[in-house]
Amino acid sequence: MTISQILFIVIALVVLGGGVMVVTARNLFHAALFLIVSFFGVTGLYVLLDAGFFAAAQFLVYIGAISILVIFAVMLTRGVQQAQPANSQWPAALITSVIVFVIMAIMLGPIAVTIGDRQFGNLSWPNIVEGQTVPAVPDDSLVRLGQSFVDFNQYGAAFLLTAVLILVAMVGAIWVARDRTLKDVMEERAELAAEEAQEAMLAGPAQPALPVGAAQVAEPTAEPAVRH
Amino acid sequence: MSLIDTINNLLKIIGDAVANLVQNILGPGLGADLIVMGLGALALCTVAALTFMAMTWAERKVVARIQSRVGPNQAGPFGLLQPIADGIKMFTKEDTTPTSADRWVYNAAPLIIATFALLTFAVFPIAPGVVGTNLNIGVFFVIAVGSASTVAILMAGWGSNNKYSLLGAFRTVAQLVGYEVPMLLNVIPVIVLAGSMGLADIVQRQTLADGNPGIPFIVYLPLSALAFFIAGVAETGRSPFDLLEAESEIVAGFHVEYSGMKFALFMLGEYVNTLAVSIVFATLFLGGYAGPILPPYLWLALKTALVFFVFMWLRGTLPRVRVDQLMSLNWKVLVPMSVVNIIAVIILAKVFVTSPGLQAANGGILVTPATQAAILFVANIAILLSGLAIVARRARVLRLAEERQLESRRQANRAAVSGFAGGAPAK
Amino acid sequence: MRTDFAFIGVMLITAFLLMGVAVFAASLLRPKKPSQAKLETYECGMETVGDAWVQFRVQYYIFALIFVLFDVGGVLLFPFAVAFNVVPIYAVLVVSLFLGTLMAALLYAWRKGALQWD
Repeated sequence: MTISQILFIVIALVVLGGGVMVVTARNLFHAALFLIVSFFGVTGLYVLLDAGFFAAAQFLVYIGAISILVIFAVMLTRGVQQAQPANSQWPAALITSVIVFVIMAIMLGPIAVTIGDRQFGNLSWPNIVEGQTVPAVPDDSLVRLGQSFVDFNQYGAAFLLTAVLILVAMVGAIWVARDRTLKDVMEERAELAAEEAQEAMLAGPAQPALPVGAAQVAEPTAEPAVRH
Repeated sequence: MSLIDTINNLLKIIGDAVANLVQNILGPGLGADLIVMGLGALALCTVAALTFMAMTWAERKVVARIQSRVGPNQAGPFGLLQPIADGIKMFTKEDTTPTSADRWVYNAAPLIIATFALLTFAVFPIAPGVVGTNLNIGVFFVIAVGSASTVAILMAGWGSNNKYSLLGAFRTVAQLVGYEVPMLLNVIPVIVLAGSMGLADIVQRQTLADGNPGIPFIVYLPLSALAFFIAGVAETGRSPFDLLEAESEIVAGFHVEYSGMKFALFMLGEYVNTLAVSIVFATLFLGGYAGPILPPYLWLALKTALVFFVFMWLRGTLPRVRVDQLMSLNWKVLVPMSVVNIIAVIILAKVFVTSPGLQAANGGILVTPATQAAILFVANIAILLSGLAIVARRARVLRLAEERQLESRRQANRAAVSGFAGGAPAK
Repeated sequence: MRTDFAFIGVMLITAFLLMGVAVFAASLLRPKKPSQAKLETYECGMETVGDAWVQFRVQYYIFALIFVLFDVGGVLLFPFAVAFNVVPIYAVLVVSLFLGTLMAALLYAWRKGALQWD
């Protein structure tokens, strides 16, 4: 075994072990930390693939930013420490992961599957096929990446679409987390008051002696809406 | 080799000698390579740790002088042995783990913060050929590794199971991580001018040799330098952006439960991060080790010390900013200004080119490097001034609105008072 | 490149071990006399009520999200900056458009009051 093979096995164990712990940890904060361990392993995989820029980008974006987002999301939930190991959606999750696993196994593995006139799988990766070597990463790979980002025959459109995606994500995030506006609050209170008034009306015929009391009940709930 | 050459290349000569010695003993191979690397890493860590000790002394002394105090003066001459005394104290102080803490998370946090702070030193070029490893993504690597401290701070805050700690950690992360964005954005113009992310290449572009003009990038990009510096101060959580510590509000923030060596590691992480930002600033904008007469490593040390002095100066003079000011400064001033600056720099750098080869390839107007520097300088200053003018105008509008509100309230009060003045009977 | 990163790996391990040794050495040197009062959570002399692990405000999350979005945007600019000298002149327009869209996102958040901390 070469050194990079040994390193690959170690790093793969870190990634997979972290992943398993994410799923099994009962404490959600610990699960988030194990997710970071897994991300860190992926950084190592990028280094092994000679993709230094992507390793650093993975570290910056996933460990420095996304994991913080995950931890904040965890802190927003109730019962951080006593998470249920499974909820009612686990069969769906199981089926999805089995399907994804099978697809990936076919994509990467030596078995060929023919659907229609297209063949999937058995892709003859250069490092699998005997006698072929992986071509070295060129020294100017970063420059080429930069060129392809602004070339519309390559990733120019995708580059600009990423900005649009960021814009959409921003709009979506603010919409999801929007504070209830004053109008919403007033409408809600008006509804509540109307409901209570209706209840009072329904209760009215049974106790005809207390119509004044019913009006008094409805009044305090309506008042704050006016004051605000 | 003359004496001056020997002094200039002192670090490289020592490094080569050690590497040769190891290879002679073990024979060339992987083992020898690993040991040489390990020794190099150990040397870098030691230098960083010693500089950390010197920095604590310098900071206490300088801030004390700014505030008309004396500072440490008991341990040794000028209190020079103070860091050693502090170190002995940190080593021998009892160190408790609160019973309600999350043990593993609590104990791992200081280790992580210190380790990743030291890791940035692997890519700093100290002199020509003296560098841990000359990564071609150098500056990006430094910013990426620097972002690990936020995770460690969250771990410390959570692991302590203390309300102050967690509040401090959340404050830091929500309020200060945003400053990574202007940091990233203001590195872009430097990379555009240097054509590389490698720190050694960036220094090379600012050295007076090989057809390079030897003009430091702070002359080209004063606005980027200023914004990068502000973002750097905020990223390291130092005064005036030290809301994460705010001892008057949340006692000490995320590390309130730590003592002894683990607390020392937090301090080390903080100071080494500050040192890293100083070195990066010196490398990106002041020309790193480039400079005449003095040996290169001394130039780097001098420039870094200058940047760190400004850090101390800010700490000694400025009051802590308010939370809403902190957020506004980042998202409403620094980020928009940096983006406008990037657009201006890339347009101007494409139009005014300095080499005939580039002109032949992409067109543009051929100018001397000094002219290019002057054009970019004027553009940067113009963006800075117009940005400040907009901010000042906005601030005036807000202030006037506030004053009007105050005045109308005052008038209402006056009216109420004069209503009684007519002779309402006092009871 | 991979060999460049070998030093990063060695440095990571060295720094971690060095820090670990410091903590371990301190644990040998320091006194160890824990008591009930020492091990309690610190809260300015008050007795702590409940865990610190409570629910937080959604505003923290919004800021983290805005940060992530701009982080990703910033990272994508780096390869362009490296390739700046070899890209054609219209690339400046493409990147300006990219940055303009990012600014539109920032402006949206601004107008919606998401950048206001209160």
